[in-house]
Amino acid sequence: MAEEAEPALSSLLAGGSIHLTATATDREDAVRQTGRALLDAGAVDAGYIDAMLERERSVSTYVGEGIAIPHGTRAATDRVLRDAIVVLRFPEGVDWQGNDVRVCVGIAALGGGHIALLSRLARVLLEPEAASSLRAAATESQVYAILE
Amino acid sequence: MPERTIAVASSVGLHARPASLFSQAAAKLGVPITLTSASGKSVNAASILGVLSLGIGHGEVVTISAEGDGADQALDSLTDLLNTDLDQA
Repeated sequence: MAEEAEPALSSLLAGGSIHLTATATDREDAVRQTGRALLDAGAVDAGYIDAMLERERSVSTYVGEGIAIPHGTRAATDRVLRDAIVVLRFPEGVDWQGNDVRVCVGIAALGGGHIALLSRLARVLLEPEAASSLRAAATESQVYAILE
Repeated sequence: MPERTIAVASSVGLHARPASLFSQAAAKLGVPITLTSASGKSVNAASILGVLSLGIGHGEVVTISAEGDGADQALDSLTDLLNTDLDQA
């Protein structure tokens, strides 16, 4: 399959894109911080953060296993400068409409790349123990290893 | 086993919002539903991660199947969802 030739998901992690001890007052704060990390990585412009909040208010990006995957709306695709992933770990948890979120994986993808990127990320997280390892990750290298 | 084959109407495919709405609906039906992509991969339709992992784009053909009491009604309601552009809904 062609997808095996694609670079590892971890190659989309820019330096400084992993935050292992984040804290957030609520879901909106967590989404904002995730967007800020994408902005700091040079992957999006500031308008993308508003689009992420809009998406989250429309339908939760909670995917189960204590993980949310905040991302912008389709209309905000032109706010994306390059494909990127950021990982924010919230050891104290964030109330996500009744779900306890421990990890936000923020994503940005150029053009129509969101489906492929989400699909690859979902396949990684479906692996037994991948989600729990991500929730428990104590070092950046552990996060890289999970997203290999 | 009852099944339906549908081309996904959502303009972004079974991506974040449509995938969430679809799997939430599947989870509420009380009947286990299997979603199968054209390439033959099957997942639990009630699992958002499972649905996302298939990476189904607009117009791609999927099959949903279910067993047991209420299977046909459950599949009919999900067929209606897949025939709707959920990104606009």
